[in-house]
Amino acid sequence: MTTVARKLGSLRWLYLGLVWAVILFVLVPLATTIWVAFFSNKILSFPPEGYTASWFEQAWTLEAFRNGFLLSFEVAVGASILAVCLGVPAALAIARYQFQGRELINTVLMSPLMIPAIVAGTAIYLFYVEVQLESDVQFAATTYGLTLAHTLIAIPWVLRLLVASLAGIDSSIEEASLSLGASRLTTFFRITVPLIRPGITAGVLFGFIASFGDLEKSLLLVGPGRITLPIVMINYLEYRTDPTIMAVATIQVLVIAIALIVSDRYVRLGRTF
Amino acid sequence: MTAVDTVRSQLAAIAVGKRRRWLAPYALSGPAVVFVSLFLMLPLLMMLRLSFYRYDAAQMYIEAFTLDNYVRFIKDDFYRQVLWTTLWISAVTTLLCLIGGVAVAYFMARTKSPLLKRYLIIAIVLPLFMGNVARTAGWIIILDDKGLLNFLLQNVYEGSALRLLYTSGAVIAGLTSVLLPFMIVTLNSVMHNIDVSLEEASLNLGASHLTTFRRVVLPLLKPGIFAGCILCFILSMNAYATPILLGGPKFNMMAPMIYQQISAAMNWPFGSALAFVLISLTALLTVVSAVMFDRTAKRTGIA
Repeated sequence: MTTVARKLGSLRWLYLGLVWAVILFVLVPLATTIWVAFFSNKILSFPPEGYTASWFEQAWTLEAFRNGFLLSFEVAVGASILAVCLGVPAALAIARYQFQGRELINTVLMSPLMIPAIVAGTAIYLFYVEVQLESDVQFAATTYGLTLAHTLIAIPWVLRLLVASLAGIDSSIEEASLSLGASRLTTFFRITVPLIRPGITAGVLFGFIASFGDLEKSLLLVGPGRITLPIVMINYLEYRTDPTIMAVATIQVLVIAIALIVSDRYVRLGRTF
Repeated sequence: MTAVDTVRSQLAAIAVGKRRRWLAPYALSGPAVVFVSLFLMLPLLMMLRLSFYRYDAAQMYIEAFTLDNYVRFIKDDFYRQVLWTTLWISAVTTLLCLIGGVAVAYFMARTKSPLLKRYLIIAIVLPLFMGNVARTAGWIIILDDKGLLNFLLQNVYEGSALRLLYTSGAVIAGLTSVLLPFMIVTLNSVMHNIDVSLEEASLNLGASHLTTFRRVVLPLLKPGIFAGCILCFILSMNAYATPILLGGPKFNMMAPMIYQQISAAMNWPFGSALAFVLISLTALLTVVSAVMFDRTAKRTGIA
């Protein structure tokens, strides 16, 4: 083997160079964002005059960012909980039963992941407006309208993680509970739920992450004074690039990183992907 | 009660139980299916209908059945140009993702250190979830007139400042960086199942590394390459944040154009038509390449 590897010579360095260049290409922009968030320069320029953490304070005092963060958080929590309520029974059906239309139902439930987000967001907005015209109930530019749309984002993740989690559990344990006289409901809450709790936790966390970072589906659904963090960020970035916005981006990255690290304890990220 | 009656009632009970069991999966998945149908499928159908309406400045739209919106899209040079830009940017991005992705996925699968492998996977998976805005923000800093690259260019190499931001090159760089993890993750799952001994056999039989890669690894990797390319192409066709932030106001791709038509121009029928052109093209390309892939797979005997 070593002789073969040596025969490769300069080609091997080319290959290794490409590999590390690609990895840097993915990671450097993210690292740059975090780096610049600590610059003491008031406007974006190089080299840094010094380092400070004051931009994080500044970001929190700006109402648009603070409200955006809180709204995104609220919507993401609501959406991931709602998605789990809908997703757990659906995952149970798909993982535990063979029935007609199983593939179709699975495709429908995974479709929010397949249908382009910008197209889906536009359709939901037009739908909300139509509903309001017919019934006078406002959905567009409301927190619950946004939460319902974000539930759609979270459902595929919940389903995917729970189906995987259910597949790893021996169904004979559930059958034992049933044959010993427990009802289906008792079996579900006393046997199935404790067994798939890691899957449920991971589902909630991934639903949260997908919702918290969403931009395209929400674009048309936000309203004055009710704008999610990614949209506040993109609106700001279109006109200004300064350390404050990089501090905001760093906070967003941090929140998502924490959610990911916690979920790594329940499902091994490296193995899921 | 006779024994026959007992058996009969038991059979009836089993039949009821069976009927209930037959219903169970539908009852369980029902709420979720209704939810997705109501909040996604129905809106999409309504949007399809809206795309055939006629635009009216005073009333927003007039109920009609006209192909005007689609005809306008095809006939107008401006919108054709937007579609063309979207297509070629996506094609170049996908190609770059493929080249970079294959290299990294192969390296990750063949590295001898499990620790390096674990950290690499985390480093690739983490950015997947970070949100495109935060990641694209980094590219703005790098490419800006007073940004990192221009600073390095002027101070280290004493070159003159280059216009990097608001070019198609910036959009391609940004998209490639955002989408590479999708390609790597997809390829990685296939790479896992390729037995190293196949490569060793090829090397032992005298083939060079390059030949082994080309004749052994690449054909086995084909399903992953196919899936990864489709994913990258679809995602870049529908990209919003990157073209807006790195392409600037004069750079037009389909997704920002749809948003602009709905929210600023308030031409909902035309905006809906644009959305349907985008979703149909995406679906069509997926199906066509799936069929083509199936054929080559059958001919070459993989799959």
